[in-house]
Amino acid sequence: MKPISEMREVIVAGMGITKWGVYPDMEWYEHGAKAILNALKDASMEWRDIQAAFCGSVYQGTGSGHQAIREVGLTGIPIVNVENACSSGSSAFKLAYESVAADIYDIVLAVGMEKMPRGPIPSTAFRPWELKLGFNVQPANYANQTIEYMEKTGATIEDFARVTVKNRKNGALNPNGRFQEPVTLEEVLNSRMVAYPLRLLNCCPLADGAAAAILCSKDKLKSRGKVIKVAASVLTSGVYGEGTLGGGGITSVKHPPALGTTELSAKQAWEISGYGPEDMDVVQAYDTMSPGELWDLEKLGFCKTGEAKHLLREGAFDINGRFPVNTDGGLMSRGHPLGATALGQIYEIFLQLRGEAGQRQVEGAKIGLSHSMGAGPNSSVTILKR
Amino acid sequence: MEPAEKKVIPVKEGLWTTPSSPNEQPQLIGSRCIQCGELYFPRKMDGRCVYCQQENLEDIKLSRRGRIHSFSVVMQQPGGGYYRGPVPYAYGCVDLPEGIRIVSLLTESVPEKLEVGMDAEMIVEKLCDDDEGNVVATFKFRPVKSDPRKEA
Repeated sequence: MKPISEMREVIVAGMGITKWGVYPDMEWYEHGAKAILNALKDASMEWRDIQAAFCGSVYQGTGSGHQAIREVGLTGIPIVNVENACSSGSSAFKLAYESVAADIYDIVLAVGMEKMPRGPIPSTAFRPWELKLGFNVQPANYANQTIEYMEKTGATIEDFARVTVKNRKNGALNPNGRFQEPVTLEEVLNSRMVAYPLRLLNCCPLADGAAAAILCSKDKLKSRGKVIKVAASVLTSGVYGEGTLGGGGITSVKHPPALGTTELSAKQAWEISGYGPEDMDVVQAYDTMSPGELWDLEKLGFCKTGEAKHLLREGAFDINGRFPVNTDGGLMSRGHPLGATALGQIYEIFLQLRGEAGQRQVEGAKIGLSHSMGAGPNSSVTILKR
Repeated sequence: MEPAEKKVIPVKEGLWTTPSSPNEQPQLIGSRCIQCGELYFPRKMDGRCVYCQQENLEDIKLSRRGRIHSFSVVMQQPGGGYYRGPVPYAYGCVDLPEGIRIVSLLTESVPEKLEVGMDAEMIVEKLCDDDEGNVVATFKFRPVKSDPRKEA
């Protein structure tokens, strides 16, 4: 891969989001169209400025992006639908980024949207016989990884509850999330058991919603907001021998990988951007299940394996801590519209670097990283800077 | 009139051996790469090793006894309607002595009775009934007390 210095510079011209929640009377294309219009307004651009569109969704079926864009206005531009599980939104962002960086288009849209089915996620990223054996329960797959992580690091269920408490506290300051109410440690520890040892409040809630980004070359920028540049946009998929129960990866005892999917994506992002973990002012980690936030930060290189729980307890991940994590409340507060989630994560970094995050603003944030995972498995890392 | 005995069908063909005498126990069938030693379960029907990329796989019968590496107990019906067995139910990763980790249902669904590092042995038992009136059978691992002679 080329270092970022050899590619054309790409600016995030504007982003838009909807208020995520449960909307029985709204379809995904309406959420998607709303996010697109919000992004256009933020970028001070017209719809006819957009030259190509990459549209992330998971459950909306064939031509889902076309349907959202039909609500905004068909102009003949190429529309490509992107299904990459929970990394769909960031995969759309990466494709949009690359098509501007490679000088193919000047102004490109990435949108992620979803209207979630009700109840547990009916994941189909498994073989038919595995589905019949009930292996598609993502909280249970994370629970297996959690048991493994607890054995390895000594992290406790109280630590995982602390992640939820921190994120729901941050989420109270984010009007676009599904939940704005903080929760207590006791509420998390006493919530209903979903998949031992994970309880309901260790699991992110589902939600409907959308997010959109407009990426452009420097000469096309119109917005008067702070200029936010893409420093890296990386996607890695499964590596041989990494056991990711929920992601379809099988552990190899004989030939384990040198680097896991997440570690590999982080390594590439550091190499491409020229930054390291110590340069990040604000981080969006992947907290689909609360223990995941801890091992995610370790795998990305923010601390050593087993250290995240100490940093969490010290308050290092709080908004006013040494490196703030999930300042918008994370998936735990925002909710999880699969196709939109990863772009929603990037949106928060964008807002923080713009200095427009209101009560949850991290003072002077200049560089930020967002990481999302997805069944497949997939891992995507986006670094923005101003 | 008594209904005819239900037909037992496996959740997937070829996952385990069918014993030819009452003294034998079913065993999981895997693949082993003669080139690099990699093990697979279920066995790979195309005979190709996806680690070393050689077409050098042979079928092997896997050990019936392993060690529980991780587990979870599912407390609610999974999404999608694919799973029709009992709830709650447990599944986890089991390490077999040959050097392979497999994902399996566990017979024990009380979390307090499961521990990392427990020995477990493979059995075949009913998963659920299907719409045609058959019994669907699956392999599972049953936690067993460790052999004290081995621990000594």
